[in-house]
Amino acid sequence: MFATKRLGKELSKMQSGLPNGIELIKADDFKEWLLDIRVVDANPIYQGEVYRIKFMFSPNYPIEAPEVVFVQDESHPIPYHPHIYSNGIICLDLLDRTGWSPVHNVESVCISLQSMLTGNTKKERPPGDENFVRSNTQRPRDINFVFHDPHV
Amino acid sequence: MSSPSPIPPPNDRRSSRASSNASQPGPGSSSNATSSLDVASEPSDLLVVGGPPSSPSPLALRASNSPSSKRRKSRVEKIPPDLHLLEYVSPCDSNLVCLICHAPFGKPVRLVCDHYFCRDCLDHAWEAQQDGHKTCPTCRNRVDVDREPLSVPRILENMLDELVVKCPNSRLGCEWSDQRANVQDHVMLYCEYTLVECGSYDCRFPVSQKDFHKGCLHYTVNCEHCHTSLMRRDLEEHQTTACPNKSTSCPHCATEVLRVELKAHIKDVCARAIVPCPGAIVGCTFVAERTEVWLHERSCPMATMAPHFREQQTRLERNEAKLEPLARRVVILEDGLSNITNMLYPANDNASSFPVTNPLDPNNADAFPPAPLVPTPDFRLPPASLHDSLREEVSRIATALTEVEGRASMMIINDGQRFKDELLHTNANINNMRVQLHWLMSTTLQQRTANSASNSTSGRAGSGATASTSAPSGSTTQGAARNRSGAAGPGVTGHSPFRRLSDSTRQDTKL
Ligand SMILES: [Zn+2]
Ligand SMILES: [Zn+2]
Ligand SMILES: [Zn+2]
Ligand SMILES: [Zn+2]
Ligand SMILES: [Zn+2]
Ligand SMILES: [Zn+2]
Ligand SMILES: [Zn+2]
Repeated sequence: MFATKRLGKELSKMQSGLPNGIELIKADDFKEWLLDIRVVDANPIYQGEVYRIKFMFSPNYPIEAPEVVFVQDESHPIPYHPHIYSNGIICLDLLDRTGWSPVHNVESVCISLQSMLTGNTKKERPPGDENFVRSNTQRPRDINFVFHDPHV
Repeated sequence: MSSPSPIPPPNDRRSSRASSNASQPGPGSSSNATSSLDVASEPSDLLVVGGPPSSPSPLALRASNSPSSKRRKSRVEKIPPDLHLLEYVSPCDSNLVCLICHAPFGKPVRLVCDHYFCRDCLDHAWEAQQDGHKTCPTCRNRVDVDREPLSVPRILENMLDELVVKCPNSRLGCEWSDQRANVQDHVMLYCEYTLVECGSYDCRFPVSQKDFHKGCLHYTVNCEHCHTSLMRRDLEEHQTTACPNKSTSCPHCATEVLRVELKAHIKDVCARAIVPCPGAIVGCTFVAERTEVWLHERSCPMATMAPHFREQQTRLERNEAKLEPLARRVVILEDGLSNITNMLYPANDNASSFPVTNPLDPNNADAFPPAPLVPTPDFRLPPASLHDSLREEVSRIATALTEVEGRASMMIINDGQRFKDELLHTNANINNMRVQLHWLMSTTLQQRTANSASNSTSGRAGSGATASTSAPSGSTTQGAARNRSGAAGPGVTGHSPFRRLSDSTRQDTKL
């Protein structure tokens, strides 16, 4: 109920306008939304690519953090970033249980991800990406990341 | 400067709040209204709810008039409206919005860091914080639980109170909307749609305030039109909005149709319904009322093509559906074929399962039971396809045989050629030797004749004499020569060794 109410408000706000480079793709229910982001500033790593983000909300949103991952399809790759695994899982403190705050919202998360990409200069995956991608069966919200570098 | 007027102007919407507050101490108001009801209803059977004692509320009047309230101690338990769920008539200032629920503050509180939240939202957020200490959701400033949360400036509360909201029962039909400060009174006292407990003796279902006097409507009835069984309370709504066998008017052309047929009417018949051109499947973008589409259809080439395309489409789908079992059959056949190939050419490493033994050897008959030798047919194969694959196999073997045959004859031809070459070579050598032998022999003969000519001229003369007796004298030398050659055996060629040589060379070139 809480989540529905709040997401309804977020949705109507987003439908009336979103920052440049962020686009709402699908929000048919209050469980799963799809948004596209692209890096607006010139960054050769992300030039000309559009990334798709999937939000999954629990009924306790926004008290509980949403699960946010990049999803891959023919036209949407997983962006290269030292904190984004090649299966789309994002290691970002504000999406973690302890880093999340209910004052965040879908739009602010998108903006955070966008600026996280904009500021990146290394076209690489996190260390141990292959192992992690091969062995991980957990959902993003159950993973306890160690946030080595809070500034990225 | 701006001294508050002691008596609120009669039009002030907050007046009702003031009046409801009058009956109880403190400005806490909202949550206390329920308890005031309880307190009020305790002492007497007559229900007195809120409001100034001089002017009984309509509810109180109605409740006192209702016979059921006399029969039992009626307790009207109404739930006060949840400020979080209110619907606001116009979008409100973003400064009045709680960052957690994204709605105007319910009951706002302030933290030391000057961040504002609804009391409820803050409690929710803190509940989820596992590590015990409470922080500000916005800035993560540690909260001092003894002092915080703080109260908010009066002006903020006033601004919130002035926001215009709809009645929480608006979905049930109430059209009231007014300042938020009045919503509590409206819901608790005046709203006809607020749910109360049914007045019937043993019924605990909720009923709208306006239906309270109708008595209990919580029994099952059958709709006389569609025979669905439903609660009496819902019957009217069912018949006006849902019953499939009640007639309703088409929203487009106002024709009366049964509700159950309305969809079909709009989809296929209704002249005023907005429909796309039938050529839409080919790409026509014309969308209009059906009558206009009919006119358009006559001139639209795509609409003319559409049935054809649709037919092609269905044919395509049919074929695709057929293709699938065929593909499955091909897989089965391929399996069968490879099975047969395995039977016919058992791999060497499979020697244990396909023992290479002489089947005629009686000693081995027991050692290897015949079962594994007999090819076990794949039972998924229908006999016809088994036959087919066998035939294919046979023709394959036939081709292989022809190929082997061709290769063998080629080999024989090649070998024959080589032998022939060698033979010719040998022949030439023999001829050479023969020539040399002749030459040697003829030289030896000449030497010998020269010797014997000088030694025995008489003998030769004698023989010449005998010859001359029977032959003309001119042929004496010839006859002598003939005799000599007759004596020498191969003397026929003796006179012409060089001719033979040339002969042999000619033969060489011919070969
Ligand atoms: Zn709130
Ligand atoms: Zn704060
Ligand atoms: Zn109402
Ligand atoms: Zn009842
Ligand atoms: Zn009916
Ligand atoms: Zn119609
Ligand atoms: Zn058309």
